Amino acid sequence: MRAIIRFAAWVYAIAIYGFIFLPVVVLVLFSLQATSFPIPPFTGPSLRWYQAVLTDARLTSALVNSLLVAVLSSLASVTLGFLSAWGFARFVLPGSALLRGLITLPLTVSYLIIGMGLLVLFNWAGVPKSLLAAGIGHVVINLPLCFAIIYSQMGDHQINIERAARDLGAAEWKVLLMITVPVMAPAIFAGFFLSMTFSWDEFVISFLLTRFETTLPVEIWNLLRSGLNPKTNAVGSLVFAVSIVLVVFFELTLLRRKPA
Amino acid sequence: MAFTRNNSRAPPWALVTPALAWTLLFFVLPFIAMGLSSLTAHEGGAFTLANYSQFFTDPSYWRAMVNSLEVTGTVTIVSILLAYPFAWILAEMVPQRWQRLALMLAVLPFWTSYVVRSYSWLLVLAQNGVVNRALTGIGLIGEPLQLANTRFATVTGFVHFFVMLLTLTIFANLKQLSPSYRKAAADLGAGPIRTFLHVVLPLTLPGIMVGAFLTFVLCIGDYITPQILGGNNELVMPQLVMMQIGRRGDFPLASALSIILMAVVTIAYLTCARWLKIERA
Amino acid sequence: MTVNARTPLSTLKSHLSAACAAAALLIAAGGAQAADLNALIWCDHSDPALLQPFEEANNVKVNVKEFEGTGAGLAIVDQSQPGDWDVMVIDSIDVPRGVEKGLFEPLPEDKLPFADLFAEVKMDKSTIVDGKRYGITEKFGYNTIGFNKTKVDPADMQSLASLTSDKYKGKVAIYDYYLPVIGMAALAIGKKTADLTEADLPALKAEILKMKANAKLVGEVTASQTALATGEVDILVGGGEWVTAGLAKENPALDFSIPKEGAVLWSQSLAMFKDSRNKDMALKFIQYIMSPEGQARLATSSCYWGMPANKKAALTDEQKNILRFDEQPGFLARAQAYPAPNADLDKKMQDMWTEMLQAQ
Repeated sequence: MRAIIRFAAWVYAIAIYGFIFLPVVVLVLFSLQATSFPIPPFTGPSLRWYQAVLTDARLTSALVNSLLVAVLSSLASVTLGFLSAWGFARFVLPGSALLRGLITLPLTVSYLIIGMGLLVLFNWAGVPKSLLAAGIGHVVINLPLCFAIIYSQMGDHQINIERAARDLGAAEWKVLLMITVPVMAPAIFAGFFLSMTFSWDEFVISFLLTRFETTLPVEIWNLLRSGLNPKTNAVGSLVFAVSIVLVVFFELTLLRRKPA
Repeated sequence: MAFTRNNSRAPPWALVTPALAWTLLFFVLPFIAMGLSSLTAHEGGAFTLANYSQFFTDPSYWRAMVNSLEVTGTVTIVSILLAYPFAWILAEMVPQRWQRLALMLAVLPFWTSYVVRSYSWLLVLAQNGVVNRALTGIGLIGEPLQLANTRFATVTGFVHFFVMLLTLTIFANLKQLSPSYRKAAADLGAGPIRTFLHVVLPLTLPGIMVGAFLTFVLCIGDYITPQILGGNNELVMPQLVMMQIGRRGDFPLASALSIILMAVVTIAYLTCARWLKIERA
Repeated sequence: MTVNARTPLSTLKSHLSAACAAAALLIAAGGAQAADLNALIWCDHSDPALLQPFEEANNVKVNVKEFEGTGAGLAIVDQSQPGDWDVMVIDSIDVPRGVEKGLFEPLPEDKLPFADLFAEVKMDKSTIVDGKRYGITEKFGYNTIGFNKTKVDPADMQSLASLTSDKYKGKVAIYDYYLPVIGMAALAIGKKTADLTEADLPALKAEILKMKANAKLVGEVTASQTALATGEVDILVGGGEWVTAGLAKENPALDFSIPKEGAVLWSQSLAMFKDSRNKDMALKFIQYIMSPEGQARLATSSCYWGMPANKKAALTDEQKNILRFDEQPGFLARAQAYPAPNADLDKKMQDMWTEMLQAQ
């Protein structure tokens, strides 16, 4: 009986993995298609669509834009999130719970609504659409995330270390840079990493708030609308490859380092 | 009040104000702008409630909300049902040192671009796609099924993503359970099923609820998946919103629809609120 | 807790002003440089093969923003500052809408090849307002029946009635753009597209609902094209050379017909903005697009193919064959213009379209 359950469990797990991997395997496979339709029968392998992607100036510049927006908006999110988390954890502020609720509120709102709101506001204020406008939107969605992660990790032990340092006469900025930031590094990094991920893949806010220069997901969307071709598969596979390299890199370097 | 004496050196408001100001300026203010906009006429800008009455009186508009709720509800339930056993297997049956790898493997496919992933499902589910080819190939079906461009396709695309998300939240929750609970239950004579129903399930409920709420919010506000996979055979709310902007630049109507959508999400939030507190460790 | 000299309010204010300064910076950074040409276009104009030769020859960067449908395009202009845009692609029949809003600059007829255009697509009725010409037709084609000739009886494709017949139930896709398909519905019930009024809506609705009942999907360019190309459906309502020509190499079985009831003629024009800060370059761009080389590149653009408006377009014989260049006079004789509803009727048509999408 136990053996049957074990067997059933493994079959189930493999089936779920199969489900999770199915579209990605198909995506990568048909990026190597030699003809113009990414559907069976498979006619490859061919690298012609990869070549087409790498020589497409709009796609490559969109890729750079996406990286730029992701890095800068994540830096802003993590900085604002960290400072506010520190402020709320260290000091007793009037209306603290309410204000913390306000900062985390955007977490409960759909991206579409955040994008719509900014579109209406910027439209009224005469702020033109741009990558920066999209970046502002990305900070709106990622700031609460960074705040929540960092705030939830601010324990009493860390406040005690800070107090000790301060009692020993350390200046406030020194305490911040030499005690708080290093102690909080895992949470700060987790916030940054997650923000990068969400910003990198975010579509609707960028779609609504950018004009000429845009991010990769929006450019892929434009590409999709001009017809079905394996070029889309090739972009997707490239993004996948880059992401895996980054994840493995972070996994091996930063995430492994755990406090002893 | 232990740190009062340090206030002169690091004014606490200076720490929290940037984040608060950002939230007020780029989240609350836009929301107010959207609210005001929703009360104006597209042509002329006079005050009107027409944008809201359009939603409530035009069946094809509120039908979009019904579709949204049906799709989101189905996705949430199916995803939980699929993810819970999977998370359980990962947490209980996979050896400890392989768990991290097993999770990484489950997350890996989601590092492809989101837009591309939806499109990839279209290829998988197409008339001549991989699934239909395989099913006809092994003789299970004679004619290819219509899978792409249906609600089934939309739900599949969503479930794909949310199974992963829910697996993560439920897994985290299961790992936090102390084995002693189960042992205690067993010592008291409870069988595995009763232990699960009366001990494990209630203790993992918060994790499920957090995951369910996330699923609900992300799913009901998503435009890409239904737009790419649904074949426009029906519309959900985000498609209706984007249509107002894309076709006519009708911001007031799009704003009104967004606010109605927001109201529904708020109701969901209030339902789940007690599980969603963010507290310090 | 002691509160220092800076009150929360003043801190908030200082941060708000900092944010405003950042916003101002962003406006400066977001605005395009004067040397660029900013074009509000349909997706066929974003093909590098079309733009690059012009950019290199004139040492200018062409910034493009894609949109679909005049309503959306004019909304983008509404949201912009005067001078943001230099040229725009617009449905020929909608040129007067832009002129009414005071957006466009008259075009110098002597500097553009009007004599070389197909006479039927000059569309003087809409491109000339108060004796001044504001638009020049660059490309045209038909919203009609696109089909896979190996899967359907080509004889059936000579009648719009086939679209709603049981024979092709579940084999049909509808192109998701309300105007041309409503135009086709008008032809099917024997109305002229130019004469549609609110009174015709119930009959039109009945017709598009019948189409929907037969349809497997309603899709944008990609979805409908994909469905036809991959065999998901055999017929595309609203299709035409713009779907089949680009795919001819991959799938030669795809074809289109102009049924006996006629077809809807789509025609896109180029217009120049009155507030353009770069009118010389804008005119150069229009001249380039209208030149035989520009016309050939536009006609065979990667997003969709279409007939060049200029008869002298430098197309190869094979390309002409795919576009059915020589059959145009017969096609044009049977084609009717896009419906051109006023704002009120337009809204009603869109709501009718939404209802069709939601119909089960």
